[in-house]
Amino acid sequence: MKKHYHLYLGKAGHLAVMSEFLIRGWNVAIPEVDIGDDIFVVQDDIGTLNRVQVKTATSNVKKGSFSGRFNLPLLQLRRISPILFHYVFIVRHKERWTDPIIIRQDYLLNFVQSDSFGTIHKENLSLYFSYSSNGVGCSGIDLSSFVADYADFPVIEE
Amino acid sequence: MEPIIINVYKQMDGYTFSLPVSIRQRVKDWFPDAHPANRIFVAYDIKSDFEKYYDQLENYIYPALLGIRSDNNLDDKVKEIQFVDSETGNLLHTHRLAA
Repeated sequence: MKKHYHLYLGKAGHLAVMSEFLIRGWNVAIPEVDIGDDIFVVQDDIGTLNRVQVKTATSNVKKGSFSGRFNLPLLQLRRISPILFHYVFIVRHKERWTDPIIIRQDYLLNFVQSDSFGTIHKENLSLYFSYSSNGVGCSGIDLSSFVADYADFPVIEE
Repeated sequence: MEPIIINVYKQMDGYTFSLPVSIRQRVKDWFPDAHPANRIFVAYDIKSDFEKYYDQLENYIYPALLGIRSDNNLDDKVKEIQFVDSETGNLLHTHRLAA
């Protein structure tokens, strides 16, 4: 595997997600300095701003299923500011990206606080998404309703 | 009777008050005509003395966040509302509802 492969994977994931926002009519930008915000997603005409965190993983294949592991800082998750993060999780599997799982910050935080979602170690949240023919889940929670959930990013046609 | 939790996040230019998803659902279960808000941002000029208004602010914020009519008997369902620092989890203030 290529040296620093994770950097290439992460950037490829960013660009794949940005491409999808663009095709939906949302403008995108990457901050010059990376201090937590991965992508700004903007509705040009009225300036609606969304903050997107892209999380990428390579698949770990098992019999009849595969999984992806993601890590994110808890402190960022707990900061409920006027503009919420949208976390976009994608897995590179069989030379393709899975459909994105899009979870808004307040829903993700609620899973963590109410449902023992993932595992916490030293202020980092580790999530293990399991994909099978039945759908996708994590810690016993069905995430199927979050797959390609662009409800907060409707297609902008004009 | 579990309290209602309101998350508070302090920024340089104001406060964000937000309702956890589970609380929003609980309020809707109690009051089907309620329209709880996700969050409310109260902006101040930077370097203003908004710290001293903070306690007063909470009493105006929770009815707007919960989105319930004033004649709903919220105190039948819950006895107190807790304002919690969303970053640290520290309790900032408790508002007790009249019995």
